[in-house]
Formats: sequence, C-alpha cells, structure tokens
Amino acid sequence: MPRVTLETLPDYGRYLLAAAEDAGLRYPTTRKVSLPLLELTVHLGHGVLADALGHAFVEAGHDRPEPAACRVFIAHPGIHGIPEPARWGDAHFTEHGFAKRLAEAGLRGHYFHDLDFWQIYDPHRSVGVQLMASADAFPPWEPGAPLRAFLHWEYAARGMRLTHAGTLGIDGKGILLAGAGGAGKSGTVAAGLLNGLDSVGDDYVLIDLVGGVTARPLFSTLKQDARGFARLGLQQRLAEQGPLNWQGKHTFHIGDVTPRPVPAMLDIVALVMPHISGGGASSIMPVSRRDAMIALAPSGIAQMPGERESGFRFFSELTRLLPCFRLSLGTDPAEIAGAIENFLTRGLS
Amino acid sequence: MLSGATMMHESHAYAVASRDIVFESFDGEAVVLNLANGKYFGFSDSGSKVWQALSSGMDARALVGLAAGGSTIGEAQLDHFIAQLLELGLLVPSDATVQPLPDELAAELAATNEPLDVSIHDDLADLIVIDPIHEVEEPLGWPAVKQAS
Repeated sequence: MPRVTLETLPDYGRYLLAAAEDAGLRYPTTRKVSLPLLELTVHLGHGVLADALGHAFVEAGHDRPEPAACRVFIAHPGIHGIPEPARWGDAHFTEHGFAKRLAEAGLRGHYFHDLDFWQIYDPHRSVGVQLMASADAFPPWEPGAPLRAFLHWEYAARGMRLTHAGTLGIDGKGILLAGAGGAGKSGTVAAGLLNGLDSVGDDYVLIDLVGGVTARPLFSTLKQDARGFARLGLQQRLAEQGPLNWQGKHTFHIGDVTPRPVPAMLDIVALVMPHISGGGASSIMPVSRRDAMIALAPSGIAQMPGERESGFRFFSELTRLLPCFRLSLGTDPAEIAGAIENFLTRGLS
Repeated sequence: MLSGATMMHESHAYAVASRDIVFESFDGEAVVLNLANGKYFGFSDSGSKVWQALSSGMDARALVGLAAGGSTIGEAQLDHFIAQLLELGLLVPSDATVQPLPDELAAELAATNEPLDVSIHDDLADLIVIDPIHEVEEPLGWPAVKQAS
C-alpha cells in the first residue's frame, strides 16, 4: 500500500487528477448540475452519490454572464485505470499543514483518514477528483451536501464563499443565521419556511460580498433532530420519511415544507445569532460584531478544508458589512417566524 | 502554568508569534485566529487595545498606569495578561526596539469599559491526527513507492 507524505502530497494529488481524467470515458454516468454562476459536471458511478446529485441541490436558472464550468470525477478502483487510494504515511497530520502544502503547489485537497477518502482540486483548471476505496466508501455526511469541498474551493477561488449559516427572508431581503451546531439555526429556518418566509438554505449557502451581501442557494437539504421535527409538526406533514441521517436527524428538502420556489438570491441585511432561550417570546437584540464573528467564522472555517486565512478575511469583511443581532428563540414556530418577519419588514432597529 | 511571566521583566517588546496568527478588528474589538490549529481568541475592548499595542511592538511598560476598563492598568495585571498571550502562543518576546505608544492609544484605552481579558474559543479547533508510527515502515511516499514496486 503506497503511503503519501507531506513531501509527496502535491505529486500524489496531480497523479490522482491525471488518473481520474485518463479514465474519462469509463465512468458509468455523467451528471450536470446548474449552480449559481457555475455549471458542475460530475463523472461517477450509479448509486447513492449519483442519486444525491439529483436531489440535494437547488438548481439555478441561467446566469448572466455565462456561468463558469467545473468538472469532478468521483473515482474508485472498480473503474478501470483508477488506483487504490494511498494511505497517509507521515507521523503527523494537520489539516492546515496538509492544505498549506497543497496550496503551495496550486492545489486544494482534503483527506479523510478513516476511509482513505481523497479529494483533490485544481482551481486553475477547475478539475477535481474524489477517490474512494470502493463505490460506497464515502463519509456519511457526503450525500446531504455532495461535493461540498469542491464547491468551496471553486467559489473561494472566485472570491465567494460557502458559508455555514442558515437563511430566512421575505421579498428578496434576508438574514444570515450563524452559530455552532445546536444553536437553533435549522429549527429557525424550518419554522420560517412553514410560516411564510423564504430560505436559500439552512446549512451551507453561497455568499458574495460584491455590491452588498447576497446569499444564494446550493443545497436543498434541511435537517431536524427528533424533538425539532415533532415541535414543528413535521411528523404529520411529511408522509414519506426516509431513514435518519448519520447524526440521527431527519432529513428533508425545502420543497417538502413549502410550495414557494426557492429564491435565486437574498439580499442579506443582518447577521443574526439564534439562541435557544427556553421560553417566552422571541426577541432580537443588537450584539457586538466581535461576538457575531466568533459565532459565524469558526464552523465555516473548520468544516471547509483549506482556504483558512481567506475565510477569516472574508467572514471579517462580511461581519463588518452587516448589523449583528442575537435572536432569543421562543418555543412557538409561528411566533419565531413572526418575530423575524417583523424584524425584516419593519426595520432593524 | 504561565511560564511566559518570567519573560516579562527581561523584554518589554513583543511581536506576533508567527505568520499563522492573524487578526481583525471589529468596532475596536480584536478577534485573533491561529491558522495552525483553528483556535479563536476574542479580546475585551481594553484587551483589544493592549493587543494592538503589543502586537505592533509598542513599549509594554508604557501601558502601566494608564486608565482602562474603568480602572488603572497595574503592573501585575499587565504581567498576567501578557503571560497569557505568550502562553497561548499569540505573542513572543522581541529584541526589536520598542515603539512609543501613540497619544491616541491612551485616550482609546481610557474610553474602554471592560477589564483586560482574552477568551478562548476552541470548540471547533483541529484535532491533530497522529498516524501510529508502528504502522509506518519507511514512508517512501508517492510516487517513490510506485516506482520501486
């Protein structure tokens, strides 16, 4: 079993890209996904990941100017010409050291030890490879937000950012909901969707800072733990429920909870940190930008491989462009949605 | 154990510990990220001003006795704060000539409301993965392994 060290990492990355591209015609299927400002083409096998590409995204309409194109090969040794994944062979592995070494060579990448799962991306050519030990040897979170790392690298190279935040809006104007897992982002988004508000995502959205802060949708997947699922009445509403995800959460899609189409974009007017207060009415109070930055940036940077400093600078700029608030969440979903609608339509003070 | 405290009396100039320490200011309040391990640090308003002074090589001694956060910066308090920043790997002692404090910094410090403080946010910091050495023969890496086989 070959082993990759920090020294040989860029060579290995380029070797994988070449092997994946050389096998070009041997992938069983090709999927195309229209995303904001990007046409994604994926060569892969049939199965869970191919299915996920079909239903995990919010497909974008035609962009003007013409969208850029990116191509990703989802490869495994069952496809002729694709090697077994190598293992990591250095004594130490740090995410930052790994990403820095690849960045010096003009590449981006991620390695998930447990599965010898490699993702390598060349942002100059917009070509990537995801190498797995077998067709189904991917981390359990991959189907919910497929190819998230590649989208992160591609958009970051163009000055935009996949951001770990929820969104709610009305009439094209919206808020970003930031905070670590368990803060109440997903429950707030679902409460809003069920009560007349729009969202462009509850987990990862695409943020651009040119001409003001905007959020665009990428993934349609929503998540709720059992308690939130029951509190929101989703048990009754969603007749067909699939298996729980790797976190033991229910997963469903924006279209399952609202008939309204997902907006192509929201103009973000505030950064809001939800907080489960345990009762009473919801309230929205100003909070320091320092605290908002610490709520927003860590998860967005920790969950996205590489581009760490550019992420810190991007989230800093984003935070400085927006007024920041803490949302103390009540317990009634309709009341929470009403408080946010009021906040958005009657002003931010 | 704040071992950096002993350094305080030998050096009065400090510098940002490495290029992996990056920081931004939000309405005068500093947030620092250690890129190498993903740890964040949030500074109180007075702590932010002191961080700003120390990270730009200004004279630490000149801060003693200045009004900040509703009281006066004491030597022991400043020693403790600096020792904390050394211990956290955000600052290192510097041999460079200390820079004088700009006049406006004293006024800005006097306008602060919170005591000197830095909070650590490491919930999402990196886990360092160590591949057990005994599993690794000679790590020839790639493509050396392939060429040898």
